[in-house]
Amino acid sequence: MSERQEEQKRHLQLMKRGADGNEEYSGTFQEEDDSVEMRDVQDELQVRHTPCNVTHKRKVKWHYQSQIHITVWKNKKALENKVGETMQDRTLRNWFKVTIPWGRKYDKEWLMNSIQNHCSVPFTPVDFHYVRNRARFFIQDSSIASELKDVSYKICDEENQKICIFVNKCAAPFSVQNKLEPEEMYQLEMTMNKRYDVTQQALDLQTLRFDPDLVGHEIDIILNRRNCMSAALKIIEKNFPNLLSLNLCNNKLYQLDGLCDIIPKAPMIKILNLSNNELSSTWEVSKIKGLKLEELWLEGNPLCDTFSDQLTYVSVIRSYFPKLRCLDGQNFTSPTALDISSPDLVKPCQKTCKEPEELRNLIRQFLRQYYSLYDNGDRQGLLAAYHEESCFSLSVSSNPEDIALNSLCDIYKESRNMKMIKDDYLRLQLLKHTKHDVVRSLCVLPKTQHDLNSFVVDLLIQTDTMLCFSVHGVFKEVEGSSQGSLRAFVRTFITTPGCCSNLCIMNDELFVRVATAREAQCSLSLQTPTSVFNFKPTLSQEQQEMVQSFSTQSGMNFHWSQKCLQDNEWNYIKACEVFIMLKTEGRIPMEAFQ
Amino acid sequence: MEGTGSYHRDWSEENRGRQYQQHDQHRQPEGSGSHYYGPQGDHSRQGNRIPEEVVTPPLAASASSGSLMAAAVDFKTHVDQACRAAEEFVNIYYETMDKRRQALTRLYLDKATLIWNGNVVTGLDALANFFDMLPSSEFQVNMLDCQPVHEQATQAQTTILVVTSGTVKFDGNKQHYFNQNFLLTAQCTPSNTVWKIASDCFRFQDWASSN
Repeated sequence: MSERQEEQKRHLQLMKRGADGNEEYSGTFQEEDDSVEMRDVQDELQVRHTPCNVTHKRKVKWHYQSQIHITVWKNKKALENKVGETMQDRTLRNWFKVTIPWGRKYDKEWLMNSIQNHCSVPFTPVDFHYVRNRARFFIQDSSIASELKDVSYKICDEENQKICIFVNKCAAPFSVQNKLEPEEMYQLEMTMNKRYDVTQQALDLQTLRFDPDLVGHEIDIILNRRNCMSAALKIIEKNFPNLLSLNLCNNKLYQLDGLCDIIPKAPMIKILNLSNNELSSTWEVSKIKGLKLEELWLEGNPLCDTFSDQLTYVSVIRSYFPKLRCLDGQNFTSPTALDISSPDLVKPCQKTCKEPEELRNLIRQFLRQYYSLYDNGDRQGLLAAYHEESCFSLSVSSNPEDIALNSLCDIYKESRNMKMIKDDYLRLQLLKHTKHDVVRSLCVLPKTQHDLNSFVVDLLIQTDTMLCFSVHGVFKEVEGSSQGSLRAFVRTFITTPGCCSNLCIMNDELFVRVATAREAQCSLSLQTPTSVFNFKPTLSQEQQEMVQSFSTQSGMNFHWSQKCLQDNEWNYIKACEVFIMLKTEGRIPMEAFQ
Repeated sequence: MEGTGSYHRDWSEENRGRQYQQHDQHRQPEGSGSHYYGPQGDHSRQGNRIPEEVVTPPLAASASSGSLMAAAVDFKTHVDQACRAAEEFVNIYYETMDKRRQALTRLYLDKATLIWNGNVVTGLDALANFFDMLPSSEFQVNMLDCQPVHEQATQAQTTILVVTSGTVKFDGNKQHYFNQNFLLTAQCTPSNTVWKIASDCFRFQDWASSN
């Protein structure tokens, strides 16, 4: 075949492939720099007719969803000798694409493991990515392809829906098809080696496309493209498998499907910088939650603007990376008490569950998300957490000696203490039924700030359909007549596994009492001023004066004086007593006096 | 029917060597206010009843239809049943704990779990040892709440959640405030429903400082 025919054939292939003609897999597509594209066009005009020109002239004959993809790709393959072509052809042949519609709903690891379990031979998925709601990957073996076809409708998801899998013949995936030439790989490797800092085990790939070495050799490394990302990851796997820190700042990344493949290649990565890219939703970030990150940078991505408040943003990101200590340069306090080896959390799990760590993480994540909505958002958001026919009831401590309980009873009027309430009708009324009633009554309760550091969880029962646990902890009331008061609570959740490895609440019982002075001080000493869960109320004039005089008298700084007063309900004398008690016990840290 | 048969067998086994059965006719503990015994006919069974069992009358629908899990039972009925069972249970449990500690394990399922201030105890043997070791107690329950558990979670095994709070004094220790919650499951027969503890979670309110 002549060069021209060769090139025409390739062009036709591109057109037939339709959506896959694009070297990017995802639906929305952002344009590369105009300047570079122009460069390509000029170079390639003799070699082939670029699709973009065709598209412009013919009013978008083929387009992918609603976007016009304009791709320009240097294709030197037409110039290669015959031997090289044959070998290349072999790797380009016999590819199958496996599509799971609605694959987006499922946890990637679960999905791939389920499919793998139904397959007699282990296979390696190539170029796993998402297209809108679909999950898709490629494999090269026709026997595996037919096995995978049979797996369709064999796997049941959590809602008992059968998962359907489509398998079709296709052209080679982009990372294979547009594999970098050996010279390009070599140059890329050299460049990456230069950018590697051995002392920190850190690799700096920011603005990689415009690296002078690569530009000088006319190698276009656009990390958005699967083949480029795949090549870079290959080099990382070979040269820097113990990589600790990776900087991908400024690479116009708008999807992380490709980066996902780094997880088995460089599993020790703790620091990742993705700032100033084009990531538009946290779903992209969730794709790499297999990394055990301690430090993450996401600022400068469109996804940051989708959050109305900092706390929600932080808690969503932290839910993906439990070990995270620093986000966008902001440090959190030490991990929540649930992460620190809480012996009480360990013991129940050892006896009752098969996978204690997973279960603990599941519960931790649930509690983090639940209380994030409970404390910071409009509690309406909790509707998603409750089952249609869930129940909720509230009970308030009834220790006759505790005078402070009077305020408690005024606020928590719907206390359902069957020792005091004997009327069947009233008992029924106070038990909230259906999620709308439940959330309605939760919205009426005062706004709170829970101290997640204080949480201790007892796991009561774990079966396939039920996960029941009790949470003990403290919270502060942040509004109303008892603003600043510290409460202790015991909350029993009975949940069932819902969709997407979430828990769905069936029963919720909340018991509230006034926190003891001891509990108040424990809570005080665990929280540092920069804690994410810290609560800073606005003080009245009188309260400010109290803080000042307390500070002078006690020798503590304003912050700690304020906390002490707050936790003792602004009862100056009580606060003094508590302070003296703790001081003699030596339980006040040094920093309180600085 | 099989269930009823074994139930009777259990009775005969339990009745052997039971000394205090005769004078434990006070099935109505003081101050509870719950009226377990409805029609007079129930009293006839009183003499055969083992004290350490929490029994409630069957749900009205199931008695007539013969099926134990009639879907027609509405929410209110579940709540009523739960309240009745919870009150009965709490009275029997704490009385047994205080006065007849050796019989306490009868209230637990074979595979029940107790989490006592974070310590896990599973199985009747371990539970028996544990309760043996625990000093004698004096419980005072000030708060009681309960909820019927949705059957989707329990796979149609009738279950109720019972939450209590109050004070307890163990011999040789100071008084503590405590919180406790139970999951009780029902073993239904045509004539009544027997409730047993599937899980029991107990904590002092000041557990942190009492270690």
